[in-house]
Amino acid sequence: MKKFDTLSTRLKIAKKKANKNSFTNNKNNTSSLGTALKLSTEMVAAVFVGSIIGFILDNWFDSKPWLTIIFFFVGATAGILNVIRTAKLMQKNND
Amino acid sequence: MSTNPMHQFNVYRIGPEISLGNVDISFTNASLFMIISALAIISVFFVGTKRKTIVPTKIQLLTELSYTFVSKMISDTAGSKAKPYFPFIFSLFMFVLFCNMIGMLPYSFTVTSHIIVTFALAAVIFIGVTIIGFANHGVGYLKLFIPSGVPVVLLPIIVIIEMISYLARPVSLSVRLFANMMAGHTMLKVFGGFVISLGIIGGWLPLSFTVALTALEILIAFLQAYVFAILTCIYLSDALNLNH
Repeated sequence: MKKFDTLSTRLKIAKKKANKNSFTNNKNNTSSLGTALKLSTEMVAAVFVGSIIGFILDNWFDSKPWLTIIFFFVGATAGILNVIRTAKLMQKNND
Repeated sequence: MSTNPMHQFNVYRIGPEISLGNVDISFTNASLFMIISALAIISVFFVGTKRKTIVPTKIQLLTELSYTFVSKMISDTAGSKAKPYFPFIFSLFMFVLFCNMIGMLPYSFTVTSHIIVTFALAAVIFIGVTIIGFANHGVGYLKLFIPSGVPVVLLPIIVIIEMISYLARPVSLSVRLFANMMAGHTMLKVFGGFVISLGIIGGWLPLSFTVALTALEILIAFLQAYVFAILTCIYLSDALNLNH
């Protein structure tokens, strides 16, 4: 009887270990690759959108090139904000 | 076969030219591959859900796994309120996944490597999420642009920044998918071209690269579909729960 007990506890521990390992490995692999893929476009998109808005407003108010320049920087700020936000979200998901 | 790496992205007409007013709506190879992926999804799920056995067959296991995968993803990111949107996100995920995966087959066409396709998907999501947000919260949805605890002096510029970051969502969503797919397929073709030009002696190195890249591309094809779906969930969660 004792033999069985130790076997079952050992099995339990081994299963737990296997589960834990596969789970964390899996998560780490996908999330680190996903991080690299996700963050890169976040920044570019905001700068792009900001510049486009600036360009449209410039055409509207006839104030070339000032609003494009201003909105380029505002877009870059928004991009940094987006990147930080996404990074925070990922960190929260990882914990 | 052309050796130009961009040749694989050509869209050409199949069958007669059809135009609606000034718009050309002819059937192209892109439409063909979209229909193929849609039919593939339908047939996989039809076969997978036809006979429900307790010990699942392989296809049944596949359908059940994909269901739990997407369902868990939605409940993890957007909460229980997002349950009614499950069919939409599930079809979206499956469509992008199948388009990416079918694009990995030789001689096929990758629909998602065209920005107009991904941007159309992202625009539908963006408009839909905005409508859901306004329907759920009314004018209060605009509070999304005003983060809490910001001094009044900074408010005008913060609101502009928040609006740009909101408008950047569809762009980043579509550009991410499109750029990943296009870059990967171009790279595969370039390395494939090296194999031919270096011949039997030097061609082995690029050939091994191509094999490794193919594996990476299959991973990316899955990962990008996953990222596309999970970001949709996050945007949906913003619209439903009004948090950042």
